Amino acid sequence: MRREILFLSIVCWLVFCPLAWSQENEIRLFNWSDYLPQEVLDRFTQETGIAVRTTTYDSNEAMYAKLKLLDGGGYDLAVPSTYFVDKLRQEGMLREIDKTRLQNFKNLDPRQLDKPFDPGNRYSIPYLWGTTGIAVNTDKFKLQDVQAWADLWKPMFRGRLLLPNDMRETFHIALMILGYPGNNTNPEQIRLAYELLKKLLPNIRLFTSDAIDVQFVTGEVDAGVAWNGVVYKARQEDPAIRYVYPREGVIVWMDNLIIPKNAPHAELAYKLIDFLLRPDMARLIAEKIGYASPNLAAVKLLPPALRDDPTVYPGDEVLSKGEYQTDIGSAITLYSEYWEKLKAE
Amino acid sequence: MARLKTAYLALVFGFLYLPMVVLILYSFNPSKYGIRWAGFSLDWYRNLATDAGLIEAALNSLLVASLAASLACLVGTVGAIGLHRYRFRGRHWLQGLLLVTLMSPDMVMAVSLLVLFIALHIKLGFWSLLLSHTTFCLPFVTATVQSRLQGFDRYLIEAAQDLGACEWQAIRQVMLPLAMPAILAGWMLSFALSLDDVVVSFFVTGPAFDVLPLKIYSMVRMGVKPEVNALAALLFAASVVLVGGAQWILQRRPQ
Amino acid sequence: MLSATAANVFMPIQFNRRPRDAMRPAGFFKTFAIAPLAGWLLLFVLIPNALVLAASFLRRDESGFVELSLTLGNYRRLLDPVYLRVFAHSLVLACAATVLCLVLAYPFAYWLARLRSGLRPLLLTLVVVPFWTNSLVRVYAIRALLAAKGLMNNTLLVLGLIDEPIRLLYTPAAVLIGMVYVLLPFMILPLYNSIEKLDRRLVEAAADLGAGPWRRFIEVILPLTLPGIISGSLLVFMPALGLFFITDVLGGSRDLLLGNFLKDQFLDARDWPFGAAASMALIGLLGLFLAAYAFSLKRFSPGGEA
Repeated sequence: MRREILFLSIVCWLVFCPLAWSQENEIRLFNWSDYLPQEVLDRFTQETGIAVRTTTYDSNEAMYAKLKLLDGGGYDLAVPSTYFVDKLRQEGMLREIDKTRLQNFKNLDPRQLDKPFDPGNRYSIPYLWGTTGIAVNTDKFKLQDVQAWADLWKPMFRGRLLLPNDMRETFHIALMILGYPGNNTNPEQIRLAYELLKKLLPNIRLFTSDAIDVQFVTGEVDAGVAWNGVVYKARQEDPAIRYVYPREGVIVWMDNLIIPKNAPHAELAYKLIDFLLRPDMARLIAEKIGYASPNLAAVKLLPPALRDDPTVYPGDEVLSKGEYQTDIGSAITLYSEYWEKLKAE
Repeated sequence: MARLKTAYLALVFGFLYLPMVVLILYSFNPSKYGIRWAGFSLDWYRNLATDAGLIEAALNSLLVASLAASLACLVGTVGAIGLHRYRFRGRHWLQGLLLVTLMSPDMVMAVSLLVLFIALHIKLGFWSLLLSHTTFCLPFVTATVQSRLQGFDRYLIEAAQDLGACEWQAIRQVMLPLAMPAILAGWMLSFALSLDDVVVSFFVTGPAFDVLPLKIYSMVRMGVKPEVNALAALLFAASVVLVGGAQWILQRRPQ
Repeated sequence: MLSATAANVFMPIQFNRRPRDAMRPAGFFKTFAIAPLAGWLLLFVLIPNALVLAASFLRRDESGFVELSLTLGNYRRLLDPVYLRVFAHSLVLACAATVLCLVLAYPFAYWLARLRSGLRPLLLTLVVVPFWTNSLVRVYAIRALLAAKGLMNNTLLVLGLIDEPIRLLYTPAAVLIGMVYVLLPFMILPLYNSIEKLDRRLVEAAADLGAGPWRRFIEVILPLTLPGIISGSLLVFMPALGLFFITDVLGGSRDLLLGNFLKDQFLDARDWPFGAAASMALIGLLGLFLAAYAFSLKRFSPGGEA
């Protein structure tokens, strides 16, 4: 009896083992959750034969921590926000991208290129951009009650708000209300922002960056801070869910594709980047995910309803009052400490 | 009084099973947000079957679980026999260390193992996962085998040796068969613990090696994803089959 | 038998109770037996924890992991009331979950063990099945149940008992319910084992001597089943402290508990020394509980030495 068991187990292991080690023709993508339609990846695999394995994170900090743990290896592509591209670039954790190998690079909007966080786009390729504003279910709350960030502090929202699990954005909101720059390194101003946020805590029901649209659609929350694409998706299921550009100004960000310096399949990563820059693919992404695409050729292909949708493509007036997120260097440790304290309250 | 007893038993069973039963029912509901009932369908199960990443994660989990359980049984059984039979300096320390490992919360173990792997520059992936899982399974196997050995007539070994068996033969042909049920039980317990582990895996796994609990974790965090209902139903069915099967096998085997 | 195994793991290992053996000539096999186990534990338990201890005295490095400069700052920071509250909150929640599980499980285990029906093996299997079902899936089931448009709210709305859905999710209550739901089988099984081994004659003897049912329970049954109570409590308390996914899924990151706190420090905020200090503090606390366990072992060892 024992010998049979032993024999069977050895056979099983021999069958299983190859599965654990066959990983040559694949790309490991590290991405925000729900940020790339599976359809696009399936098409990519169909056309190139390369499989894509996605792992998700819910914040730039978590992505950064994981990349650090893996010493810039492990993943072939990641999608950090602009200020983290800056940080990663300065720490030498990124692999330089040879743009001459990307045929579809020309489709990108020149206005989105060559920004201070990555001069000449040597290390990053813009993927999607968007804004952070207020989301509200107009069946439960009146639109005019939430026209400013400061409105979120109202007692009517006690225990009702959802906020993304994003340290920088949460502080950015408080700093904007106080009239300070959002990309702040002044310890006193950061402290004041923390004190203001403490007062918001009773209103916050939960912090989450995953599937915010589902929380709104299932009626779990009716108001809060959200990214515009999330509201776009939620609105498809429930038209009562609306996006508000706060009076004090909106937060603008852009997410970019980067290749970590020790990526195992860097060569294959180029293929995926080029694929994502194709107008038809970029258009598919923009339609499904609901964020703004920096790909001009793709935007031209979008249905007018989407192209003119102010939730996704805000006018210049809104953008002029918006503030882009940038790197703040070592001040981030101060933010971290206050953030932990806020969560622990 | 008897009525109260039955009612209470039924209530607790209800509490244990109701959420799972509801999930299983909803796994057949094609509606995406599960709010309205939209008829009976196997859509989500179909989606699961074509989700290659999920299947690979499941196979990976099975692989690590069986390897970790086997490794833990090997080291643990041998160690248990050693602890049981021999006196040596530091015996109490070893026993204590085993107890500490047994009692260690997953978090503490996860954190310490992560620190170890980073300090030793071991790449996070299959090996870090295997070593970690074996580590937390070890004390369970050792305790189980030791427990069984202690219930024994020690003179059986002495009798075997009086009859001319050397140490190795005595152990192999007397102790090992007697301890076998405990070793098997330890293996199954380790297997289950490894399959179920989220905390340690979360810390020490790498991008190359996905395991099922972590895959479920990211799916669950995505909110009410209907495929999770189907997956939950399947896992539940699997544990019913496993437990039922184990009971049946153990009932046929002479204790 | 599987359930017995799982539960027996925590039964006191009596290694001091037998008279000393004469040394057996073992030589090679002895080393072969002890070395792997000892070596493994040394490498994967002792050394890692020593590393964590060392890290707790170092400073954090923004772009690396730790900076090699000694400081007591991490421990000092832990004494901030905000973090002490995290510890306290986690301990209170874990205790609450343990007590709740105990109160729910004891009558259940008792009546199940006493059931004379032939259904008993089947019912026991029914208890073991959730024990072997993936805990994440079970947490997910609770979340689906408690959701604003989940079964609980829908039923209450339909019955007209409430007008607005009860927002139970993402509150400490939800986390507690989740913990109890996941960990209840871990309490039931050791209790069942302990109660099953109870010698009914002792209880009958007490009855013959005139003790009423309550007194029989407090002075005979309870002390004799104490090992089961302690095992079960440990099997519930430990995970309740550290299973961060329960609080993640059901708690909405609103209240920070120890498990999440440690996860944040290591995988998010990247303050390894601070996280290491918190980890050490946790170990210290648990050491105290272990000492209490060892003490109770001596006092209440089965065999009625109490």
